Amino acid sequence: MNPKPWWAKLGHRSLVLLVTVYCLFPIYFMLVQSLKTPEEDVFGNPLIVVNPTLENFEELFERKSEVRGFVGDALRRSYPFLDWLANTLIVFTGSVVVTLAASVAAAYALGRLRPPGFRWWRYGIFATYVIPQTILFIPLYHVVNALRLDDNLLALLLIYPTLALPFCVWMLSAYFQHLPREIEEAALIEGANRATAFFRIILPMSRPVLVAAGIFALGTIASDFMIASLFLLTQQNQTVTAGLGTFDVALDELAAVAGVNLLAIPVVAISACFARGYVRGLTAAMVEGA
Amino acid sequence: MTRQQRRRDIRTAYLLLAPAVLLMLTVLAYPLCWEVWTSLTSLSPLQEGATVFVGLENYRHLLQDPDFWTAASVTVVYAVVTSVAKLALGLGFALLLARPFRGRTLAFLAIFLPWVYPAGVSVIGWFWTLNPPIATSYAVFMGTLKYRVDGIFGGGAWAFLSVTLFNIWRGSSFIGVLLLAGINAIPAELFEYALLDSRSPWQRFRAVTLPLLKPFLALGVFLSLTSAFADLANVWMLTAGRIVFPVIGTQAYWLAIHTGRFGEASALSLTLVPLLLAALLLLFRLFDPPEREAA
Repeated sequence: MNPKPWWAKLGHRSLVLLVTVYCLFPIYFMLVQSLKTPEEDVFGNPLIVVNPTLENFEELFERKSEVRGFVGDALRRSYPFLDWLANTLIVFTGSVVVTLAASVAAAYALGRLRPPGFRWWRYGIFATYVIPQTILFIPLYHVVNALRLDDNLLALLLIYPTLALPFCVWMLSAYFQHLPREIEEAALIEGANRATAFFRIILPMSRPVLVAAGIFALGTIASDFMIASLFLLTQQNQTVTAGLGTFDVALDELAAVAGVNLLAIPVVAISACFARGYVRGLTAAMVEGA
Repeated sequence: MTRQQRRRDIRTAYLLLAPAVLLMLTVLAYPLCWEVWTSLTSLSPLQEGATVFVGLENYRHLLQDPDFWTAASVTVVYAVVTSVAKLALGLGFALLLARPFRGRTLAFLAIFLPWVYPAGVSVIGWFWTLNPPIATSYAVFMGTLKYRVDGIFGGGAWAFLSVTLFNIWRGSSFIGVLLLAGINAIPAELFEYALLDSRSPWQRFRAVTLPLLKPFLALGVFLSLTSAFADLANVWMLTAGRIVFPVIGTQAYWLAIHTGRFGEASALSLTLVPLLLAALLLLFRLFDPPEREAA
């Protein structure tokens, strides 16, 4: 191909720049706010931070007493942020693992073993996305209560996987379905059983797709706000999301934004590490699958 | 394969399906049935007498309520506007990233980030950015902007705008990456043939890229529609729970929690299901065209 003219290059560059700014600006803005001292928050330029401080982050980890002080008539409370982080870690990893395990099993069944009506099972599971979540939490509360999981992290471990599962099953089963038959058959002829063939051959092969499913699950789970806030009531049992929702807007703005960033860092880091795998996995699932 | 083996395989298949199906059933089956049944009754925690079966009364009542029509149309507009914008932006992102250039990895990460950044908390960040506490240095600026916007487009416009912007910001990132995966799936030879065949990039885009991306586009649109229709959390957070922005989600929540009319609230939240089902059927057709089922 002939080299591009300079204006095409310039156009391309500026487009890339524009897109990058559009995507990163809100995140940048939140980061800047979280590094500000209260003085700068009130008098400074909102777009930059002159004297960055980690004081807002430190504030999150202070755990002296319940009441931290007064501003006017309002109480300032301290928050069990470490507990929140630990709870979030448990809930996120647990839910992703449950989602992956359940959807790999189901997808293998639908894509390789193909019980009668496997296509309808696939459609059926995916179709659950149509159910409006809006006020589903009222009857969901009955279920959670009946299982005695009220105010318990296990409630989230039960509910979260169902948010990502349909998509994961859809994607993984499409992938499994279009793997050539011979892959397993060779192993089966050699005398291996299905389980061995699955764990030795199919599972290692499908790593990119598993990564894609995992990242999708993580992204979906991390985006929930309602369920966490509804089912976790005691402070010690809350996740970061639920906890931050209880912050008082006027008093703890900076600390809250710091908390937002603190939760985002690990999630973003994990996703960034697997970003390439995510795209490759989506491609693999769809090419072989569509 | 012998018949016995096949039978064993089928048994294994059901066994393997069990965890996923059980999970979905526990979380969704009872609540869904409850919701459908409740929408046909007068159930309310505040009522005096017993719960009465009222048939389609709740639905009839809704259809006569002008508030319902406002909420329904706002929801549809919200879903359509965000979906179209997300699709357009996402397609742009994907096409931008499809060819190699210096710094592509970084651009890709930047585009990936809005979706990855946990929305459960970033919505809190957005809320306080757009509706800053009165003391912050940009509160006046944001406040002025809000009243300008509301002044031109009527009350609630700022809320609508902030919810829409957040949804688009996050969704375009997801769809962009999804479509990039789709473009990567298109065999390079096809592009080469297309290069021989036609000179205009637009024609190549229409003849090769677009048709092959169709399943991905459909998937993106469907996920975007379902999330928009059921969007309660984001709207709720970004409007601080005030009903300045009537969508089906918030209105149903309001009916259920603040006025205790569970029956009507259930009916209300089910009203848009037919629309979503239609979208889903369309998606399935795009994914598994009937003529290819035999293969």
